[in-house]
Amino acid sequence: MFKWLDGKKSTEGSKPHSLSIDGLTEQIKSQLHVGDDLNFRNLKRDEQKLVFCYMKSLIDKTALDEFIIAPIQENTHTEWTCEAIAKILPIADLSAQNQLDGVVEGINVGKVYIYVEGQPYGILGNVSKTVERGVEKAETESLVYGPKIAFTESLSGNVNILRQNIKDLNLCMEDLTVGTRTKAKAKLIYIKDIAAEENINSLREKISQLEIDHVAGTTVLGQLIESNSWTVFPQLVTTELPDRVSIALMRGKVVVLMDRSPDALYGPTPFFTFFESTEDVYMRWNMGLALRFLRLQAAFLSVLLTPAYVAVLTYHYEVIPSPLLVSLGQSRANVPFPPVFEALLLEFFIELLREAGARLPTKVGQTMGIVGGIVIGQAAVDAGFTSNILIIIIALSALGSFTTPSYLMGTAIRMVRFPIILLAGFWGGIGIMIAFCFFIIHLLKLDTLGGSYLSPVYPLRWKDLGYSFFRVPTQYLSKRPLTNQPIDVQRFSAQKAKKKDVDE
Amino acid sequence: MNVNLHPKESLLFNAFLLMFIIHSVQSGVGIVGLPRIIFLDAKHDAWIAVFLAGVLTSVILWSMIMMLKQYDSADLYGIHVDVFGKWLGNFLSIVYMVYLTACFFVIILNYVEIVQVWIFPNLPTWQLVLVLILLAVYAVYGGIRVMVGVSFLSVTGTLWLLLVIFVPLRYTDFTHIFPIMNVDIYHMIKGIKSTTLSIMGFEILMFVYPFVKEKRRALLYVQIGNLFTTLTFTLVTFISVLFFAEDSLSKVIWPVISMLKIVRLPNLERFEFIAVSFWMLVILPNMCFYLWAASKGFSRIIKRTQKMGIWIIASLAFVASFFIKARYQMNLVTDMIAKVGFYAAFCYPVILTIIVYLKKWLSRRKQSHAEPS
Repeated sequence: MFKWLDGKKSTEGSKPHSLSIDGLTEQIKSQLHVGDDLNFRNLKRDEQKLVFCYMKSLIDKTALDEFIIAPIQENTHTEWTCEAIAKILPIADLSAQNQLDGVVEGINVGKVYIYVEGQPYGILGNVSKTVERGVEKAETESLVYGPKIAFTESLSGNVNILRQNIKDLNLCMEDLTVGTRTKAKAKLIYIKDIAAEENINSLREKISQLEIDHVAGTTVLGQLIESNSWTVFPQLVTTELPDRVSIALMRGKVVVLMDRSPDALYGPTPFFTFFESTEDVYMRWNMGLALRFLRLQAAFLSVLLTPAYVAVLTYHYEVIPSPLLVSLGQSRANVPFPPVFEALLLEFFIELLREAGARLPTKVGQTMGIVGGIVIGQAAVDAGFTSNILIIIIALSALGSFTTPSYLMGTAIRMVRFPIILLAGFWGGIGIMIAFCFFIIHLLKLDTLGGSYLSPVYPLRWKDLGYSFFRVPTQYLSKRPLTNQPIDVQRFSAQKAKKKDVDE
Repeated sequence: MNVNLHPKESLLFNAFLLMFIIHSVQSGVGIVGLPRIIFLDAKHDAWIAVFLAGVLTSVILWSMIMMLKQYDSADLYGIHVDVFGKWLGNFLSIVYMVYLTACFFVIILNYVEIVQVWIFPNLPTWQLVLVLILLAVYAVYGGIRVMVGVSFLSVTGTLWLLLVIFVPLRYTDFTHIFPIMNVDIYHMIKGIKSTTLSIMGFEILMFVYPFVKEKRRALLYVQIGNLFTTLTFTLVTFISVLFFAEDSLSKVIWPVISMLKIVRLPNLERFEFIAVSFWMLVILPNMCFYLWAASKGFSRIIKRTQKMGIWIIASLAFVASFFIKARYQMNLVTDMIAKVGFYAAFCYPVILTIIVYLKKWLSRRKQSHAEPS
C-alpha cells in the first residue's frame, strides 16, 4: 500500500539526515542560506515532537494551514508515524524522504517537510505556489483575426492551453531539464504518429546534451541548439501564440516549451516559415495569398530599396529617366554628403527611433512618433542633411521590415541592410549583386534541424509550396508538408474532397 | 583509387535537377557575345548554326551518358584510371584539371571585363576577381548540395531576363534573316565550332554523375536542360540578327547587352546596367562547378583534401589575373580556351566513349575465350 514510501530512500552519495529535530534544523540551516525565509514550526504531543520545515515565500500559506497542520492537530488519535500521518493528509503530492539532499531540494522548490523525531524518514508534501500573471492578449505578435490568447510564463498553464487545443491522445510530452544550475523544466512536445522520429531525436539530443549553467528562456535555447550560430538568420521559430503552435504540431513540427518562458520554440522551420502569419490561415485563401506575397515583397524591398538608391545615385544615374532625375537632383541639391553617408545616417536615425520606442514606456513612446516623424524628418530635409526622396525610401523600407511576423527575422532583415548599403556605396549595382549572391549561397548552406533552410523552394517540393510560399484553397492541401517528413502524410482524403461532375 | 565514387546517401540529388545544372553551366558569359561571333562566320544564318551546335551537343551528351552508364557510379577521374591505367590515366586527369581551372579563370575574367567596359572603367581587375573567387570558394565549401542549389536558384532567378529579350523584338526587321540557308557548309561548320565556348560547360556532367540519385533518368533531364539552352541561344541569336543591321552586328562586341539598352520602364532606363549586374547570378554556378570539378581532382587523384585543392586553384586564378592586362591578351586567352574547349568538351568525350566501349568489348571477348567452352 505504501509503495510510494520506499521511493528514494537511499541514493548513493547523499546521507540520511539527523534523527533529532535539533540536528535536522541545524543541518538544513547549514545548507540553505535564506535568512528568515526558512521556517520551522514545532508541534508536541505525549513526549513526541513533530516539525514542519518550509520556506515562507515558496508555499501557499492557507494550503499549509488547512491541509497539513489542521488535519494533524485535529486527528488526536492518530499515531505520529509516517504512514499514519500520510493517511490523514488531504494532499495529492506526497513523498517519503530521509536523505538530507532530498529534503533540502524539496524545501527549495516549495514543499513542506514533516518529520517526527526518531522516525526513520519524513514526508515531503507539496504546497508550493508560483507567482503567475493571468492569461493575456498576445503582445509581440499582434493579430486582427484569430484567437487572442497567448502563452504565459507558467509551463503547466501553457501545457494546459495546448492540450485544450489538441485533444489527440498521441500528443506526447517528454520532460527535460535545462541548465545545470538553474534546472528549469522543459517539455518536448510532438504528435507521435505525425512528427518524424529524426526531428524529435535531434531536438531531444541537442537539448539534453546542453551543459550550460543557465538558459534564459526558449529564445536563448533556440540560439544554443541552432547549428549555425554565426548567421543573422534565426533557424527556429519562437512564438507566443498557442494556435500557431497547434498548427505547427499538426503539420508535424516538434515544439519545446520551457518553464518561466512565455515563448514556444519549434522546428524544423525553413526560411519562408518566418513570413507566415496565422492570419494567412484564418483569412480566405485569396486574401491570405495576397497578404503573404505583400509581406515577402516588403521584406525584399526593405533589403533592396536603400542600397538601390545609393547605387543609382552614386554610380548609375543613367538608369533613371530624365524627368525623375531632375526632381531627384533638386531634392539632393542641398545635401553635401555622398549618398552612402546620407543613407547610413538616415537608417541610423530610424534604428534609433525604433530602439528608443521599444525601450521607453508606452506613454512616452507615443511622443517618439512625433519626434521622429515631424522633427527629425522635416528638420533633416530643411537642414540639408538628406533628400526628401531618401526619407520616403527609408520610411518604406522600415515599414517593410516591420511587416515580417517574426520579430527576430524582421530585425535580421533590418541589420542585413547595412552591409549591403556599404557594398552599394563601393561598387554600385555590382556590390548589391555580390551581396545578393552571397546571401543565396548563405541561405543554401543553413539548415534547420538537419533539413534544408530554403525548403519548399530548394529542394523543390511542389506540394509544400501551397503551405509556405503560396496559400492555396484547403482542398488542395490534403497532404502534410513533406519538409517536416511527417509519418502520417494524409490530412484528409483528397478523393472525397473532389468536386462532383455537372448534374451528378 | 576507386573507379567508382559512392557518395553518402544525403549528398545525392534528384535527377531532374540535372536539367538546371546543365542549363546553368552552359549559359554563362559566352552568350552575351555569342551572336556576333557566330555572325562573323555564318552571317545571317547564325541562328541556324547555333541551333545545329545545340543538336551536336545533345549527341555528345548522349554519348557521355552512354559512357557513364558502363560504370556503376564513376566520374571522369575514375574512368581515366580504369581505361588508361594509373599513370597515363592520372596524367590525363591532371590535364583535364588544368583545363577546368582555365575555364574557371576565363569565365571570371570575361565577366570582369564586361563590368569594366559597361559600368566601372576604372575598377581594378583584381578586386572584382578576388570577390568573385571568394564567392565561388564559399559556395564550393558547402559541397555539391549547395552548388546544385545555386544552379537551381540561378536558373529560376534569371528566367525573367529571357522575357526582357523579347522587348527588342518590337524594333526588328524580319527581312534580315533572308535568304535562309544560303551560307555554304564551310562557314556553317565554322559557325558551329565558334559556338563551342558559349555552349561549353556540359562536360561537368562527367563529374556530377556519381551524385545523381536516379541514374536511369539522367539522360532525359540532361537532354531537356540542353534543349532549353539551345532554344535560348538560338532565340537570342535570332533576335540579334533581326535587330542589328548587317554591318553593325559584326561591330558590337556584346550585342545582347547593346540590345538591352533600349528596354525602358517608366522609372528605369538603360536596362543594361541592371542586366550586367544581374549576370553575376548567371555565371555564379559556372564558376562554382568548374572550381568544384577541378578541386575534386585533388581528393580523387592526389589523395589530398578537396579544401586544399579549392584554395590552390583559387589562388592560382587570382595570381593569374594579374598577368592579363589588355583586351587583346584577354581575347588571346579566351580564344585559346575556346579551342581547347572544343577538343576537351566536344571531341574528347566521344573518343573516350569509343575507347570505353572497345575496352569492354575486348575484355568480354577475352573472357569468353578464356572460359573453356
